[in-house]
Amino acid sequence: MSFSSSRSVPRGLRILLLLTPALVVVAVFFVGGVSQAVAQSFGYQPFLPSSRWSADAYRSLWHDPAVRASLGLTIRVSVLSTFLAAIIGVAGALLIRRVGSRTWAHAMFQANLAVPHLVGALCMLLLLSQSGLLSRLSHATGLTSGPADFPELTQDRFGWGIIAEYVWKETAFIGVIALAALNRGVSELEDAARLLGAGAGQRFRHVTLPALLPSVSAASVLVMAFVAGSYEVPYLLGRPYPATLPVVALEYYRDVDLTARPQAMAVAVLITGVSVVLVAAYFTLTSRLVRREL
Amino acid sequence: MSHPRLTGPWLAAGVLAAAALMVTACTSQSSTTAGQRVDSGDWDSVLAQADGQTVNWYMYGGDDTLNGFIAGYVADRLAELGVTLNQVRVTDTADAVNKVLGEKQAGRSSGGSVDAIWINGENFATGVQADLWSCGWVRGLPNSRFVDFTRPAVNNDFGTPVKGCEAPWQEADSALVYDSDQLSESDVESVSSLLSWAAAHPGRFTYPALPDFTGSMAVRTILYDTVGGPDSLTDPFDEDAYTAAANRLWPRLNAIEHSLWRGGSTYPRSQAAVEKLYSDGEIDAFFTYGPGAVADQVKKGVYPDSTREAVLDGGNIGNVSFLAIPANAEHSAAALVLANILLDPETQLALYETEGIYPAIDLERTDKQTQQAFADAPRSLSVLPLSTLTQHTQPELGSDYVTRLEHDWKTNVLQQ
Repeated sequence: MSFSSSRSVPRGLRILLLLTPALVVVAVFFVGGVSQAVAQSFGYQPFLPSSRWSADAYRSLWHDPAVRASLGLTIRVSVLSTFLAAIIGVAGALLIRRVGSRTWAHAMFQANLAVPHLVGALCMLLLLSQSGLLSRLSHATGLTSGPADFPELTQDRFGWGIIAEYVWKETAFIGVIALAALNRGVSELEDAARLLGAGAGQRFRHVTLPALLPSVSAASVLVMAFVAGSYEVPYLLGRPYPATLPVVALEYYRDVDLTARPQAMAVAVLITGVSVVLVAAYFTLTSRLVRREL
Repeated sequence: MSHPRLTGPWLAAGVLAAAALMVTACTSQSSTTAGQRVDSGDWDSVLAQADGQTVNWYMYGGDDTLNGFIAGYVADRLAELGVTLNQVRVTDTADAVNKVLGEKQAGRSSGGSVDAIWINGENFATGVQADLWSCGWVRGLPNSRFVDFTRPAVNNDFGTPVKGCEAPWQEADSALVYDSDQLSESDVESVSSLLSWAAAHPGRFTYPALPDFTGSMAVRTILYDTVGGPDSLTDPFDEDAYTAAANRLWPRLNAIEHSLWRGGSTYPRSQAAVEKLYSDGEIDAFFTYGPGAVADQVKKGVYPDSTREAVLDGGNIGNVSFLAIPANAEHSAAALVLANILLDPETQLALYETEGIYPAIDLERTDKQTQQAFADAPRSLSVLPLSTLTQHTQPELGSDYVTRLEHDWKTNVLQQ
């Protein structure tokens, strides 16, 4: 048996045939889903007799204070969570490399990778809420006199509770990626730089950081896009108003009035837009950094 | 080789576009043929068809005691008739309605995955709007003879005519739950006395953010007190009457806001969150639709022993909740059997005894023994007797009013 007969098939077609299974999945679940969302956001609702095409949903979003407040919160939470997780993750990875790649250190660093975000959010609630563990401890030690005395760390206006959960969870993810990048011969490069007389700061800026940036920024993009679009953590740890965009979208989606469906889909399209913009901005920023360092 | 060739990227784009079109085409093809019809009038054939079926019952799953009852008693009763129960717990009934809607949108007019939904109010109205329900089967249920169909609450679900599209199975009468160590009986006499207690004790009272089902009831309770009951808000929806009532309600809600939990700067997300605040000692009082379940919480030690209930002056709001069967349900026979078992006086009694859920059937229509059993059911000190809870029950508003209140509460109270 030989596959030489495949030579008679044109190359373009052959690649296409090989890609078809993957492309069909992407098309049905991604392109299909997104185009459905876009269509419904413009009023496509075949199950309602009165539906018609219009951009009303987008116009009403523009005037909806819930969406306006949400936009700022969503961007704040995504950017801050990603930024903090990236810094702490990289710092943790560097620290672990310094103490030597011991298994216990690795295990501790990665312990929460397998914990679902939902569980993480509930843990934050048990830990940080006004009747949570920290509040009870501070009450027991006489620091506070009751639940209301303890600072608002969950359901707070700024979103600290949400950010805390994402940082706790995503630090491990970015840390693992950074550790992998550090294992790719970075030590040798650093040694070479040291021999050439580079100080610790110079070695970090000109050798370690450029080696880390490509993979860490790719991981950060994943984190940011995930945070901007995820629902359960802001639902559990955030406020009903202002809420992040995914929470607002689902609220519209669950609206008992079916004519609110286009708004739900318009918010979903907006989330897609916000993610794309954030990711593009992040890529531009980091690629510039990498170029400057090299 | 000179013929033009599609190169990789273009071909890929073509395939993607074709597949996307295909998806859109499939979903827009909504067929209107009815699903497999099961006639509830011919009960023997319903039982025969249901034997061996699995009924997928979508229901709000936030009540542990009720979940245990469904998985135990109800599942056992169904098993006797060869029906397997698959209880699907949802956090919001709207999710179940959305599932049926999504299937209908995808052209699935039979073989639907939702066989029954515990439902009432706006969610039922949504299904009526999109023509999702199977109708005209309720009177065919053998146990429907225990239901008083002349009662407005059974005939009209939050103002939407039921028209045999859902069978009643529970009655919910609201009450205020409070810690008698913190509030005196005079504090819980009326809405005004409750609100002045709250003003004197900042941060110790709240209600869930609307559109939460119970939060919506708490706001309507204050609305009834403000405008003197539901009578001025008649069906169909009257914009002027609504505006007049709402304009008096919002200032009152905003006036008490600073004395609520977290200074009213935010509201708990759900009734479950409110009940957790109470069990954690963060608040001292809350409204509930399930006063019967409070006994169990006190017994378990979740709520303090000093927990009591009150019906405020002017009456409490009550409603009936139902079982609806989607028109495309795959196992509609099994769903009918479920609806019938739920209406059985024995089930209603067991529900009352274990969970304190009030019967949706008319006790007068049951035999003497059942009536006596209801009267003899042990009652916790924390829970009000059935007669007190049903004495001054006020009807729900039409779902159009409820929906508007929930929307406008967000702009006029939450976002202020």
